[in-house]
Amino acid sequence: MNKLFYPVAAALILAGSAFTFFAPQNWKIADGYSITWSVVGSEAGGIFKTFTGSLVFDEQNPATGVFDMKVDAGSVNSGNGLMNKHAKSDEWLDAARFPVIHFASRSISKTAGGYQVTGDLDLHGVKKPVTIPFTFQKTAQGGTFAGSFTVSRNDYKIGKPGGDVGEQIKVDISVPVTKS
Amino acid sequence: MFRKSLTLGIVSGLLAGIAGIAYSRVYYQINESDFSKVVSAVKIVAASLFGGVLAAIGYTLLNKWLKNNGEIVFNLCFTLISFASLLAPIAVTLPKTIDTPELFPGLVIPMHFFPALGWYTLKPIFIKSK
Repeated sequence: MNKLFYPVAAALILAGSAFTFFAPQNWKIADGYSITWSVVGSEAGGIFKTFTGSLVFDEQNPATGVFDMKVDAGSVNSGNGLMNKHAKSDEWLDAARFPVIHFASRSISKTAGGYQVTGDLDLHGVKKPVTIPFTFQKTAQGGTFAGSFTVSRNDYKIGKPGGDVGEQIKVDISVPVTKS
Repeated sequence: MFRKSLTLGIVSGLLAGIAGIAYSRVYYQINESDFSKVVSAVKIVAASLFGGVLAAIGYTLLNKWLKNNGEIVFNLCFTLISFASLLAPIAVTLPKTIDTPELFPGLVIPMHFFPALGWYTLKPIFIKSK
C-alpha cells in the first residue's frame, strides 16, 4: 500500500497540473453586454437588461466549451412603459411565472464563419433545442462573443398565434468578456 | 389684437417652459429617473413656446371668425388639444438605454397642460374682457 502511495500521488498531481494547462478558459461577463430582440417584419423590439451566466470556451478546442446563460424575463425593455407591462404580462412572457429565460449548451463546434452552439432554450416554460451561430473576437484582456438567432414565439407559446405581432423573433447577443 | 395675443402666447409659453424645467428637476429628485437626453431644458422651452404661439394664432383666428363665441370655442379647443396631445408621450418609444420608460408619461403629461395654464392665468393681464 505504501509503495503505491507515492506513484499514485505523483500521477494525480501530474494529471491535475496538466489539466490546468489544457482546461478551457472561463470567461467573466463584462459590462456593456447587449441582448436585443426584434419582431421580424415589424418595428417592435427591445432589450433585456439583466443577464448572467458562465461561459467556458477555448477557441482551439470549442467542443470542450460550456455556455450557461440566464436572462431575467422581467428586465425586458421596449422603450415604452405600457409595452413593457404588456410584454411581462401573462399574455406574453408571463415574467411572474417564468422569471428566467435559460439557455444551457449541449455542444459547441467550429463552422466556416465562426462557431455554433447547440443547446436547450427554456423560455416561457417550454424547453426546445436551438442552434446559435456565433463569433468570438479575442482581445488582449478578453474578447466579445456575438451571435444571433431567430425563434418562433409560437414554439414557446408566447402570445396568441397570428395577430398584429409577427411570429419570428430575432435575437442578437453581444457579450464582452474578460479572463476570469 | 394679434400683437397682444402673440405677446401673451410668448410670455405664457416661456412661463410654461420655466415651470416645465422646474417640474422636471423635482421629478428627477423624487424618482431618480433621468430623461434629460430625451427631454432637455431647451426642448421643454421650445415646445412650450410652440404651444403658446400656436394658441395665439388660434385665438386670433377664432375671434375673427366667431365674433361672440370665439373665446369660448378657443378655450374649449385649447383644453381638448392639450388633452389629446397626451397620447404622444404615452405612445412614444424611448431609446432602450432608458431604464424606466414607464415613468416618462408622469414627467411629460403635466407639462402638456402648462401652456394652457399659463395662457388662462396671464390672459386678463394682456387681453381685457369685452
